[in-house]
Amino acid sequence: MVKLKRIAVYVFLTAAALVSVFPIVWMVVSATNQSVEVTKGRLIPGAYAAENFSNLIQTIDLVPALINSMKVSISTTVLSLLIASLAGYGFEIYKSRAKNIVFNILLLSMMIPFASLMVPLYRMFGSISQTIPAIGIDTLTSAVLPTVTTAFLIFFFRQSTKMFPKELVEAGRIDGLSEIGVFFRIYVPTMKTTYAAAAIITFMASWNNYLWPLVVLQSPEKMTIPLLISNLGSSYSPDYGIIMMAIVIATFPTALVFFLMQKYFVAGMMGSVK
Amino acid sequence: MKKVLMLCLSAVLFLSACSSSDSDSSTSDAGADSNKVTIWAWDPNFNIAALNMAKEIYEKENPDVEIEIIENAQADIVQKLNTGLSSGTSKGLPSIVLIEDYRAQSFLQAYPDAFYEMSGAFNKDDFAEYKIAPTSVDGKQYGLPFDSGVTGLYVRTDYLKEAGYTLDDLQGLDWQQYIEIGKKVKEATGKDMITLDPNDLGLIRLMIQTAGSWYLEEDGVTPSLAGNEALKEAFEIYKGMMDANIVKPNSDWSQFVANFNNGDIASVPTGNWITPSVKAEASQSGKWAVAPIPKLSVEGAVNASNLGGSSWYVLNGDSAEQAADFLGKTFGSNKEFYQQLVTEIGAIGTYKPAAGGEAYGKEDEFFGGQKIISDFAGWTEEITGLNYGMHTYAIEDILIVEMQNYLNGKSIDDVLSDAQAQAEAQLK
Amino acid sequence: MNSKTKGTMAGSSLFPGKLSINSRTKSTFIGWSFVITAVIMICTFYFYPMIQALILSFQSGTGTNLTFVGFNNYTRLLSDSTFITAVKNTFIYLIVQVPIMIILALFLSVLLNDRTLKWKGIYRTAIFLPAVTSLVAYSVIFKYLFSNDGLVNTMLLKFSIVPEAVNWLTDPFWAKITIIIAITWRWTGYNMIFYLSALQNVDQAIYEAAKIDGASAVQQFFKITIPMLKPIILFTSITSTIGTLQLFDEIMNITKGGPGNATTSISQYIYNLSFKYTPDFGYAATVSYFIVILIVVFSIIQFKAAGDRNG
Repeated sequence: MVKLKRIAVYVFLTAAALVSVFPIVWMVVSATNQSVEVTKGRLIPGAYAAENFSNLIQTIDLVPALINSMKVSISTTVLSLLIASLAGYGFEIYKSRAKNIVFNILLLSMMIPFASLMVPLYRMFGSISQTIPAIGIDTLTSAVLPTVTTAFLIFFFRQSTKMFPKELVEAGRIDGLSEIGVFFRIYVPTMKTTYAAAAIITFMASWNNYLWPLVVLQSPEKMTIPLLISNLGSSYSPDYGIIMMAIVIATFPTALVFFLMQKYFVAGMMGSVK
Repeated sequence: MKKVLMLCLSAVLFLSACSSSDSDSSTSDAGADSNKVTIWAWDPNFNIAALNMAKEIYEKENPDVEIEIIENAQADIVQKLNTGLSSGTSKGLPSIVLIEDYRAQSFLQAYPDAFYEMSGAFNKDDFAEYKIAPTSVDGKQYGLPFDSGVTGLYVRTDYLKEAGYTLDDLQGLDWQQYIEIGKKVKEATGKDMITLDPNDLGLIRLMIQTAGSWYLEEDGVTPSLAGNEALKEAFEIYKGMMDANIVKPNSDWSQFVANFNNGDIASVPTGNWITPSVKAEASQSGKWAVAPIPKLSVEGAVNASNLGGSSWYVLNGDSAEQAADFLGKTFGSNKEFYQQLVTEIGAIGTYKPAAGGEAYGKEDEFFGGQKIISDFAGWTEEITGLNYGMHTYAIEDILIVEMQNYLNGKSIDDVLSDAQAQAEAQLK
Repeated sequence: MNSKTKGTMAGSSLFPGKLSINSRTKSTFIGWSFVITAVIMICTFYFYPMIQALILSFQSGTGTNLTFVGFNNYTRLLSDSTFITAVKNTFIYLIVQVPIMIILALFLSVLLNDRTLKWKGIYRTAIFLPAVTSLVAYSVIFKYLFSNDGLVNTMLLKFSIVPEAVNWLTDPFWAKITIIIAITWRWTGYNMIFYLSALQNVDQAIYEAAKIDGASAVQQFFKITIPMLKPIILFTSITSTIGTLQLFDEIMNITKGGPGNATTSISQYIYNLSFKYTPDFGYAATVSYFIVILIVVFSIIQFKAAGDRNG
């Protein structure tokens, strides 16, 4: 009976995994085919991987875009995690009536569709450009700044902090740690998996972020990967082989970040700290 | 703790690295430098390639001018331009931008002070007449007409032959005859005559322009749907095609292309810009030909129409004059340049003096030796000119919904009068 | 807003009596300094533009030709048939899709949290991968899978599950189903991550104790896992609700809102008003604020339903 259940679990998970990866396998296969074959939905790997790759390198500046995307995503992820976890911790551990109201107001910021904020934000960065061009329009910093603090992540850290054993804070204080010391020495290590999840999600969101970078980045040398991929499809006669190759390459870093981070999801981590 | 500090440090380093490299280049900004012309356009094989050729020609004679071509998808350009223009910040906008003719009036009228008048930079009479209305406002010329969206009926001659037709049978067709041929072809070969995407009414636009009609009155703002005879006939033909069972549905561009690359359909009535996609399937060489587009039976309809096509616009700013000069000397008057456009990228312009050139008369083996460029150039001159006005896509979205209702049995007069009412409510 | 008052009372009693008045002010100061960066950033980059958008929602016109129209945009909403269809569609997605996805994600994360499970990393990565995939690729592929002679229909017909090919993309009902399948496919793995991370914070000793008491796996799931994960379940249901009410990518890339406007969403309409048609940013902002109001209402309901004391 136990064994049967076990098999059922594996069958279910394998099925779920197959359904999940099937389109991705298709995408990888397509990257090895000619455009005409891709549009016909060919499912067999072809011999055009190298050709698609070299065509891709010739048509777009892949490497600079990858570097730009890396700069944007890594700085966004690190800063986001720091700012949002401090805030999530602050709102939950130092709870007060005023802070709860502020928190609820902050949540409002994730409820408006970003498309409506674009014009005012652009105007804002336009005037910033006059005084501090280094963070104005057409800089990577301007692509990072508005996305670095999200109510979404603060909310996530706050909800996760609800599951954090508050006794640990008291214990830390008794051990003579400062308030910020408690945060860095006790909270951060204990919440490793929360940070891992937040890092995955933030990195992914930033890596794929499209609308704002599209509007604010103008020079070709500043463009990030999603913008270049969008250009590839812009033609009356798009080359789907090249597009698929570009997407495979663009997908790889996030998949890698996930694979590395998911190791932290080990059951019972918390128990061992106690 | 150390790790955290390291991370913070590296983030700060990253950011400062970004901003320092940014500030280097921000000194050479387009707005600050009147000798630098920045251009936004889409399609690397077509518009961008054409720009690169123009750039080469112009920079040879004007070595002190720097021309920067920036490639973006069309939808992206529309978004960036709208955001930039409506925020009132000129920073970050280009000097020249490519705009689709259907959208041109929207931009020109929504942002009246943003565009540079180019009447002086070129002679508008040198260009196909049908391009002038969409690119000008109140007689003032803002756009420099570029590619022709002239349409043709791409056909598989082998399938037609099986059904007993030759290319000669396809001259001067109307759409009703087209459906009849489609039925025969389906009978003989089992292949559908046409592939359509229910979310794209390009075919309707193409059909009504053969009759010189549009979604709007000539003023470019008043909806003209109810009582529009051409539109009514176009709808009826669309349904006729569905009822005759000669349509293979598709749901996006890649499937559209796949349907003819796979040899699943016998004809593609569309703009000449589809040629590279048709030729992508090299194994079908010799099996294709291009016939004149069928017309509506409405009085005065012609066997020539347009689908898509776009023009160049200059934005007001420090480099506007320089930009207009660049356009005027290349796209605006250079015959040689247009010959090169045809031979190197197969782009058909709307500059009339170029049409007599040698490159236009070249035979294309893929199309059984047909001189397709010269055929297209000929049809370009027959297209009836229209003011596309401001609301092409808003009205089209209304019509897409009503088309579904019509196909499901609603009467045509109700369909068009409901569409009219909705359009009036939305566009007031 | 009742729950918030309750929450505050619970919150202020966290360290009762332990702090003197002096250290309480100090503690207030420290507490604020933890959150201040976030508050400033959000005010600058969200609230300031939001206020401008709100002002815009009382204006109308094309591009920069805006005039003040009072509440006209808001009354126009009520008679705008495209908008009403978009709201209806969005609600259908919300009611059908969010619960399915949340439950599926929860279930998967519990299975994948099993210490004895082999190839965990592979399974987790595979199920998460859809969230990473570029929309361009996935929409092209989805349209192939669900086209009339696509793989899905071929399989269904082969195993005689359906009598004739399903019009996944061209039938108003099935197109909605296709969208729901697409969102579920893409976002289940994403939501699973939050549960997986939260499950690590659940003390395994509780499960050991439950096992000794003879609780079955199902009982453990309902009696331990769900209550322990409540804060995160609340988080994912609120964020998924927001995501669905702002649904855009899938619609735009898979059905473009069609057939007719059978699958169109509110966000797609905002996009069309701002960029596809002659831009009317004022009316677009009004539609956005309608979404804000909807989400606020839903969030309050969810906070209450979860009985969250500290929302």
